[in-house]
Amino acid sequence: MTDAQKTGKYVGQRVTRNEDPRLLTGQALFVDDVDLPDMLHAAFLRSDYAHARVRSIDVSAARTRPGVVAVYTAEDMGDFWRPGPLIVPPPSKVEGIVFHARTQIPMVKDKARHIGDPLAVVIAESRYIAEDALEDIIVDYEPLEAVVDLEKALEPDAPLVYDDLDSNLAAHVIQEKGNYEAAREQADVVIKRRIVIDRGAAAALENRGVVAAWDAKSQQLTVWDTTQAPIPIRNGIAAMLGLSEHQVRVIAPFIGGGFGPKIMMDQPEEVLVPWAAVKLNRPVKWIEDRRENFIGTTQERGQIHDAEIAVTRDGRILGLRDVFLHDTGAYDPYGLTVPLNTQSHALSAYDVPNYYTEFRVVFTNKMIVTPVRGAGRPQGIFVMERMLDLAAKELGMDRTEIRRRNYIPPDAFPYRHVVIDQAFAELIFDSGDYEPALDKAMTMIGYHHFLKEEQPRLRAEGRHVGLGIVSFVETTGVGPYEGARVTVESSGKVSVVTGVGTQGQGHFTSFAQVVADQLGVDVRDVRVVTGDTAQFHWGTGTFASRGAVVAGNAVNCAASNVRTKVLKLASKVLNAPEEELELADGQVRVADIPEQAISLGELAVLANPLRGAVEPGTEPGLESTDYFGPKTCATAFGVVAMVVEVDPETMLVEIQRLVIAHDCGTVLNPMIVDGQIHGGLSLGIGNSFYEQLVYDENGQLLNASFMDYLLPRSTDMPPLIEIGHLETPSPLNPMGSKGVGEAGALPVPAAFAQAVEDALADYGIEILETPLSPNRLFEIVQAARGADE
Amino acid sequence: MELQGEFVFDGSREEVWELVRDPEVLSSALPGTQSLNQVSESEYEGQMTMRVGPVSGVFAGKVVVSDEVPPESYTLAVEGRGAPGFAKGTGHVQLVDQGDGTTLMKYEGDVQIGGKLASVGQRMLETVSKSMTRQGLETLNQALQARKTAEAEGREVEYTPPSETEFAMSVARDLAGEVFSPQHRTVWVVVAVAIVSVAIGFWLGRRK
Repeated sequence: MTDAQKTGKYVGQRVTRNEDPRLLTGQALFVDDVDLPDMLHAAFLRSDYAHARVRSIDVSAARTRPGVVAVYTAEDMGDFWRPGPLIVPPPSKVEGIVFHARTQIPMVKDKARHIGDPLAVVIAESRYIAEDALEDIIVDYEPLEAVVDLEKALEPDAPLVYDDLDSNLAAHVIQEKGNYEAAREQADVVIKRRIVIDRGAAAALENRGVVAAWDAKSQQLTVWDTTQAPIPIRNGIAAMLGLSEHQVRVIAPFIGGGFGPKIMMDQPEEVLVPWAAVKLNRPVKWIEDRRENFIGTTQERGQIHDAEIAVTRDGRILGLRDVFLHDTGAYDPYGLTVPLNTQSHALSAYDVPNYYTEFRVVFTNKMIVTPVRGAGRPQGIFVMERMLDLAAKELGMDRTEIRRRNYIPPDAFPYRHVVIDQAFAELIFDSGDYEPALDKAMTMIGYHHFLKEEQPRLRAEGRHVGLGIVSFVETTGVGPYEGARVTVESSGKVSVVTGVGTQGQGHFTSFAQVVADQLGVDVRDVRVVTGDTAQFHWGTGTFASRGAVVAGNAVNCAASNVRTKVLKLASKVLNAPEEELELADGQVRVADIPEQAISLGELAVLANPLRGAVEPGTEPGLESTDYFGPKTCATAFGVVAMVVEVDPETMLVEIQRLVIAHDCGTVLNPMIVDGQIHGGLSLGIGNSFYEQLVYDENGQLLNASFMDYLLPRSTDMPPLIEIGHLETPSPLNPMGSKGVGEAGALPVPAAFAQAVEDALADYGIEILETPLSPNRLFEIVQAARGADE
Repeated sequence: MELQGEFVFDGSREEVWELVRDPEVLSSALPGTQSLNQVSESEYEGQMTMRVGPVSGVFAGKVVVSDEVPPESYTLAVEGRGAPGFAKGTGHVQLVDQGDGTTLMKYEGDVQIGGKLASVGQRMLETVSKSMTRQGLETLNQALQARKTAEAEGREVEYTPPSETEFAMSVARDLAGEVFSPQHRTVWVVVAVAIVSVAIGFWLGRRK
């Protein structure tokens, strides 16, 4: 924490959100609110087949439907048709890496590779007409056998997603720390299991949407886009259309949830809508509907692990071996971010001296996999936590004790994990203090009391109650950098602009708190603008739990620079040395003589004179633009504990209590952090028991609606989420902050599996998969019973 | 997806075979059928309106009949496609003389369903298909009884199949949870049923 924050009024406080009055009174702009004169509407024809050669597409009837302005296929795009960017290339530091880049294409030319792959776009006077015209299009498909099963996909006779590749292998990576095989020889107990993790959707409240308007007279293109990465999108659209980056303005207004898929760049719709708007010289709008979201928006999870853990009799981990398959779907534009995160998070919070990790990324005829809140981390956590549970059981050891014995000790930081992670650098944990969080969670849940008294009493009543308690780490705040510009305006109010977009994270408040403390102004007088490339055009975006860490620190740096300028100028104006000045109540004043003061507004006017001569080498105004780029990730940590009750008749699971002891370094706003944790936990609950995308053997998605794809409802959430905050500041940034956006989602499936196993202890089941469901749980119980008989 | 089921007709095998030679009877057994055209000796094309829960639209279907052994069995290859998605499958139909004046129809097959029909209509597919199968086959059996009565009394056949509305109401009732008799508890998929049934019609049309 910086000095200004230590003495400030806002950082660390539960400041209510600056943006909420607008959101709650309907004054916030979302993409679908953009309504322009002469606007046209787009609808996409998407493949009904997961894998099919497209022989021809006849759009002639659609073109003649009244109200249809244009119909385009890949053929009509000419030279504008080109595969999208490889958003994240594979890390060059990993030796022997195999990676076949196959990025997303605007529209299908030869083969449809997943249901939902776009084939054509209709632009019409209304969305109704556009959708009706989709039915006029005749596609001549040659259906091909679909690649669905991850293991069968790699068999020699499997059909190929890409005919030019020898197999469906998209990537192969091996990383090692120490020597697992040697460690295994020393082990008292070796446990090996297969663990399966299935897919879910991001299911943001707001689907994707794009509106593009070309102004021929000013030669300016404006694009409103539900993107998490407005600046890279602007650059991509400009490059694609052959425009200067300054001719394209991308606005990411208020967005109803990002959760990862909206970080995707140059998606078909994002490219085609601006292209059509320029070509037709009329605004074009496309708003994704919910079914399109299921088949047209990227998804995640989907891995099969063969894991092995080697431990000593006293519970020390000697090594972990994890070999897994990762489903990337039909394309791999996001490189290896997700499986690399799995690799690094399988080590979790533990001092694992020997590690062998190997993954194969597999092309399948399913929707593309890119990060969804958690981004590979929950899979790694699930594997390690399940293996520790099995080891503890085998050793007859308390499950919290085995974790405690293996935590990286507080004096071992920075701790080197040796493997290369998604940030393309060695995985190094910057800081942490894990045992206090475990103790806190145990106290909050009443661990010993539950096991010794409550559980035996309830079991005697015939009730199936169980407890789950697991740890997690989260690498947060990856680089490369973000920037911000802070300006004191002549009104005395402060304007902050940054390049990241906002999808509900509370940036308008957290960033304002940082600035308000630096400049001594009211937090309501700080106006934050995010996601508008006309206002700030350097940066990458909002993802990987990095907003508060990377953009937050950039805002802090810029505000700190402005503070320096303020003090320098005020010192002259007030005739007092800088160190005697203080910034408070929108003024600069001499600390001991409060009446000797000048308001920030007046100072801003003096800093930007209309006449006279300015000193050479000075900048006008009380303004600064600055950037922040962390060297490595700031590592957050936490422990989640829950109590569940299982109804053995219906196999419904009720989460009765849920507690989390969480450490994300310096907390800027505990209320916002709580909100992030609540959201993450609810996704974690979904990933545990509700949310599962079911593909059949032909690659058809069988539950592409909220009737069939279950999100946890408010009634599926525990009555209360108890949160305990701990603060181990990160040494990697001046504010000491760590990210929290994904935290809640990571540990829940592991905690849920442990708790359900505990609740059904008399059935002797082992849970080696997620998500579960009542019927799946029933099958597992039946299988265990069958095995006993 | 595997499909199989059985249905008992109150008539001899020859009568049932005769019945399923009548395309008009067959198309009326599945309201929504819009057209049937023979395009070659063993190939037929037709159109039918389908509705499964929130998914509806016109399906264009193609049927190829093979391995006919009158009055015992035949094989169908069906393919249908439309805005709601697609279906593709093969089916084998067998008629067994039960020796008591009744005939057992056995059907089995395999079908792939895709598109909106699969992704949004999934939860309704099984119920709707059961319902349509039950009604379709019952309607056929009633048509058979009407034909037998007319023959016995030496007059014109007087039988009005259920209207599209009645049919839809019945499907809705089944969807609302009315039970099926055990003999109809088959895992049929609506499109397959519809197309297979229409296909029987095509096949019969050509025998006329």
